[in-house]
Amino acid sequence: MKRFILLIAALSTLLPAQTPADPLLEANCLGCHREQKLPDNLIYRRYLLRYSSPERIEKALLTYLRHPDKAHSIMPSEFFLRFPLKYPLKLEDAELRESVQKYLEYFDVRRRLRLEK
Amino acid sequence: MSESEKRSLIRFLVIYLTSTFVLFALVSWIFYHATERNIHQQQERVLESEITHILTRLRTLHASDAPTLLYPKNTGVSSAIFDVDRHYIFGNFSQQPSLDDAADSEVLRRIVPVDPHYLGAAYLLVSRPFDDAPMCALRRNILLFMLLGGVFFSVLGYFLGRLFIAPMRESVEQKNRFIEDATHELNTPISTILANIEMIEALEKGQDVREELGRIEIASRTLSRIYDDLTFLSLDHPYHRQIVELDLSALVQERLEYFSVVSRAKGVNVTSHIIPHVLLSIDTDDAMRLVDNLLSNAIKYNRNGGTIHVELTAHQLQITDTGIGIPPEKIATLHERFRRANTSEGGFGIGLNIVHQVVQFYGFDFEIDSEVGEGTVVRVGFSELGIRNSE
Repeated sequence: MKRFILLIAALSTLLPAQTPADPLLEANCLGCHREQKLPDNLIYRRYLLRYSSPERIEKALLTYLRHPDKAHSIMPSEFFLRFPLKYPLKLEDAELRESVQKYLEYFDVRRRLRLEK
Repeated sequence: MSESEKRSLIRFLVIYLTSTFVLFALVSWIFYHATERNIHQQQERVLESEITHILTRLRTLHASDAPTLLYPKNTGVSSAIFDVDRHYIFGNFSQQPSLDDAADSEVLRRIVPVDPHYLGAAYLLVSRPFDDAPMCALRRNILLFMLLGGVFFSVLGYFLGRLFIAPMRESVEQKNRFIEDATHELNTPISTILANIEMIEALEKGQDVREELGRIEIASRTLSRIYDDLTFLSLDHPYHRQIVELDLSALVQERLEYFSVVSRAKGVNVTSHIIPHVLLSIDTDDAMRLVDNLLSNAIKYNRNGGTIHVELTAHQLQITDTGIGIPPEKIATLHERFRRANTSEGGFGIGLNIVHQVVQFYGFDFEIDSEVGEGTVVRVGFSELGIRNSE
């Protein structure tokens, strides 16, 4: 019983990171990222560091995804030596926006922030 | 204390205490605001330190891969982060704050820009209740200071006021005493004259009236002397002196005869040893005032049946009496105007003041030796330049 409680407690602390991704997000984004071993969390933090608000990050992401270009990317040029520049996504605009929304929600730091005891 | 003295004291106290209070209030006000600014700055510095700490923690959290990010919770300080569009991200306020909340004077509140935006934060709002305890202590101390200062300066002002009105009080008392003495001093000879005139009128024609006339003469001479003294004092002697080679021996002899009637009336035996033709450069009226006042005092304060011995040499005039004497502590202040060693006899207390002015003007030496109940010796030593003995 004690072990079970400890396991539940441990799982609950990891819950935000391990929340299953939305199928749309998984299909359009995370599936490929995982294959290519892209550091999603790092990339998101870089967007966050520069653009601050979800609206501005969303705008920057859409710009990049529609027209992938080193100039539009948040990552440094050295990043593309290891991870080649991707092709433009062939998604409808609505679906692309929704995927980006899911992406932002999935990585949103607010969900992981807690107050110190 | 008279009504006018009370009024003067109250006016002085009102002006003194009001000006002191205004000065104190001004100093306290400046001190209060300077200290208040210091206290604010001190608490602002504490808040600055907290801000630095929170920013460091945000940077660490931003770099963390941990599934849970623990937002710093500093004791006594509330903080929150906002994105670039001023939307709330996270914080430890009890109620979700806004960057546009109105300032509260009881709370220290700072909005700090965050760049780069750790955890997406573009603004950090930090708030800390203002610690009012030092301000309360400051207000209490200033109030105490004002209270103690007020009590201290009130007491000091009262004593200072008493001190300041003391000369005025003494002057008023002297004037009152002078008026009383003058009234009494004038009343005696005038009454004597009137009484003797009535007696002469009542006597039948051909009767001997020499005794009555003698009394009238004494009273008239007394009035004349009072008049001379008062004129001298009221003029305050800025008059023109005619310094002449005066035969002091003759003058002293003449004044002895002048006072003989008065001294006989009091039963005082006057003896003299006068070297003839002692010449002195002096104004005749001054010399007369000097001798008259000394002789008058010697007679006035003598006892019935007492003696006076007048001795004039080339260098000094000495008058010795067997009067009531003067207490030693009063000798030093006898020359002051309206000062009297003894009030048992009539007088204004101006005689020795006149003597003092004369001896000072001519640079004579003046000395009084006295023993209470035994008598008094008064010596006037003449300066060498003023003396010339023809012998």
